[in-house]
Amino acid sequence: MTESTTAVRQEAGNDVVFDGITKSFGSTQVLQSIDLHISSGELVTVLGPSGCGKTTALRILAGFEKPSSGRVLVNGQDITSVPANRRGIGMVFQAYSLFPNLSVQENVEYGLRVRRVDRGKRAARAKELLEMCGLAEFASRYPHQLSGGQQQRVALARALAIQPGVLLLDEPLSALDAIVRSQIREEIRRLQQQLGITTMFVTHDQEEALSIADRVAVLKDGVIEQLDEPRTIYQKPSTEFVARFVGSVTEVGATRDYRGGALPVQHPEAGLDTLFVRPEDITLVPDEDGSCTVISQIYTGERTIVRATNPANDLEVTSSVSAVEASDLVPGTRVTPQVMSTPALRVSANKQNPAEQVTV
Amino acid sequence: MASVNWRYSNWLPIVAVALYVTVPVLCSIYYAVFPGGRFSLSAYSVITDDASLAAAATRTLLIAALTIVTLVATLVPAVLAVHLWAPRLRPVLEILCTLPLVVPPIALAAGVVALLRWGAQQGRGSLASEVSQFIQHPDLPLILVGTYVVLCLPFTFRSIDAGLRTIPLKAMVEGSSSLGSSVWGTVWRVVIPNIRGPVLFSVFFATAVCLGEFAIAATLNRETIPVWLFTVSNSNFRASIAIAVLLNLSTWILLLVATLSAGRFSALGKAKRKAAALDEATTLEKEAH
Repeated sequence: MTESTTAVRQEAGNDVVFDGITKSFGSTQVLQSIDLHISSGELVTVLGPSGCGKTTALRILAGFEKPSSGRVLVNGQDITSVPANRRGIGMVFQAYSLFPNLSVQENVEYGLRVRRVDRGKRAARAKELLEMCGLAEFASRYPHQLSGGQQQRVALARALAIQPGVLLLDEPLSALDAIVRSQIREEIRRLQQQLGITTMFVTHDQEEALSIADRVAVLKDGVIEQLDEPRTIYQKPSTEFVARFVGSVTEVGATRDYRGGALPVQHPEAGLDTLFVRPEDITLVPDEDGSCTVISQIYTGERTIVRATNPANDLEVTSSVSAVEASDLVPGTRVTPQVMSTPALRVSANKQNPAEQVTV
Repeated sequence: MASVNWRYSNWLPIVAVALYVTVPVLCSIYYAVFPGGRFSLSAYSVITDDASLAAAATRTLLIAALTIVTLVATLVPAVLAVHLWAPRLRPVLEILCTLPLVVPPIALAAGVVALLRWGAQQGRGSLASEVSQFIQHPDLPLILVGTYVVLCLPFTFRSIDAGLRTIPLKAMVEGSSSLGSSVWGTVWRVVIPNIRGPVLFSVFFATAVCLGEFAIAATLNRETIPVWLFTVSNSNFRASIAIAVLLNLSTWILLLVATLSAGRFSALGKAKRKAAALDEATTLEKEAH
């Protein structure tokens, strides 16, 4: 494996810079001044709800859209006006982008054929890549004879065949079922690290974004809300949007003098600071006089997600508990919810300083 | 009993149409090769005896070839460009291409004649007159190529348009250009192979039109095969029928090929047949074990 991959490995130095990129379609502004630096060999996922501009950002880097203003640099060179076919950037699309008239082998060879690489070299390289992607036995098949997962593997092999400096993935897994999705996700990560290829991965799936990335950029309405390592994005979201969009949170009210530690859950009312608390940081204590009632249990395997509400003030609490704890929390049980440790985000009641973080 | 009758009555219209189409053809064939009730191919001796037939045939085939090249080379890029970059212009192109269907050929011919006459009236040696002379040259009347291209537009546009709708065109073009290909390289390597059926249909359809068109060629007095047939029918009726039968059959064969090719030569069809062959081979292998 090492021998075959050394032939494919990129030399370092393909960092990507979005420098003040904006993009409008007519009167709609899709991207508002995006500044993003992807280091050489790094995998950055761009995460956001649909319509947030994440695909537009990727297409600007690919060369399929022209930014309204700003520059795109790869390896220090301004490529803003270089056409897509001369950027040497590999791309994997959402689905169905293989050429139906060409066999798997011919699909993988396509980029080399365009570059007039001779037949023997082309075939050898295609074989190497198909082996890397676990597709060696499918070389002579046609795309419509493959499953969705196999097709996306071929698409990946095809993109890597041209030894791109940068690899772009546009929701490549969204058309696949859960098991195949996580398999291919791991494969993409493995290949990306082996080849040391600078990668931008666009997705709307937060689990996917967190699990594969070196860093995650959370995009909302054309603005990067936060750019951090996955762990930081989850544990220390910098805005309310990130806290709500990545993972689930319970919003809890706290007085100004709260300084971390255990806290009975109360409704976030005017004048109180709002805490955004992750499910694993909340416990539900069964209590006959408790203010809340368990309304549902969602079994996810290792953990059980339990929801409780207080009908009096619409407070809704989400807690993640072990299977043993869950047995005491059947729907209908009265409980007292408690914050156990530091919340992910604290928003001050004084809105002048909305992102005041609890640093305990 | 009733159901059996119903099944027979299903075939009735087909049989009626078949009779309607074949009886005149069979009669023509009989008339051409059974002069006086005995089989003879003597009517076909006109092929070697009359040099004007060979000239008319060559001219017709040349016009057909030029028509096909012009039609495919202009229509495919035009429809493609509209699909890729200007989807809003598609209805405009569609209407433009459908117009020839509502203009009677004789009106078209009258228009062309008027235009050529206007050119000729611009005075000896003037550019318009030279152009007019050139495009209606009796040896190779290019004006017929242009007119036949227009006549073919309605059907070939529909065929190519439908072909492009069924393939994921944008994904193909973007995928291909991310791999380094220019737009025209993509068209040649990926798009055309995936609309091979519709393109072949256009080719055969245009051939059939060029071999059979009479009104315009006759009005312009340019001798293509149909015009030759009409002229010869005055002096040697049996020969004109004999050649007409030949022409008729070759046009039918072309149309048959066109219809079959639409399905058979499509890239997907090809791949599917390969897959079927592969499956068969593996089953045989398994049976052998």
